[in-house]
Amino acid sequence: MTSMTTAKPAQTQIERQAARDRTTTAVSPPVDVYETDTGYVILADMPGVRADGLEVIAERDELTIRGRVDRQEEAAPNYREFELSNYYRAFTLTQDLETNDVSATLRDGVLRVEIPKSARLRPKKIQVHAE
Amino acid sequence: MFEPWQEMRRLQRDLEQVFSRVPSARWPLTGEYPPLNVTRTEQSISVEALCPGMDRSTLDVTVVGDAVSIRGERNPPADVPAERFHRRERPFGKFTRTVSVGDVLDPDRTRATYADGILRIQLMRAPEAAPKRIAIQS
Repeated sequence: MTSMTTAKPAQTQIERQAARDRTTTAVSPPVDVYETDTGYVILADMPGVRADGLEVIAERDELTIRGRVDRQEEAAPNYREFELSNYYRAFTLTQDLETNDVSATLRDGVLRVEIPKSARLRPKKIQVHAE
Repeated sequence: MFEPWQEMRRLQRDLEQVFSRVPSARWPLTGEYPPLNVTRTEQSISVEALCPGMDRSTLDVTVVGDAVSIRGERNPPADVPAERFHRRERPFGKFTRTVSVGDVLDPDRTRATYADGILRIQLMRAPEAAPKRIAIQS
């Protein structure tokens, strides 16, 4: 036991942020992830979130989505089956994706994120020349 | 009877407990879809249903007597073959849910809006069911 600093690798910024998020009341939204010829699509159920409360960040090999629920209830419900919380979820991205070109749209509480594949991975039809 | 919504949610709960490091969404234990909140005031009764991504044309709200019925449908992404999915956690299908609020309602004064994945229904009591303050005679 010569050094305290070598005991544990330093946390990355993302890990620290994730740890902070876990201590608040963020829930993990259910997602669908599917592949198309040109990229990947993530659909996440985040009811109660408006566009200005949404944050989608692609950083190195991680994509994080955060949704802040910002609404005032007129009165406490007399009967309650759901309680809205903030949302948080992180995804690991492979290196073959164009993280600079991610697009996100929100409609009726469903977030849609499109992540294009690098051009070299898109299917390319090869012209065959007869000799 | 096979209940696809209930089954999907049970699976999702189980999966989240096993794999997720963040707390899972607080689904109701009633197994009904969609989860509802009911708020009663002297003037009206408000019902909120958590149902993101519904096909708007399928959403239907009916008021009969003291009961309100909600119907809707959510379809999976079109033209995506099953083998293209890496994760499938979101439930799809048709739902119907009916709740009795205990007071006779006025269907003509019912208002419903759908925004941010939440269906809000403002119900008004029928005139004969509205609360009346009784004057106490000395």
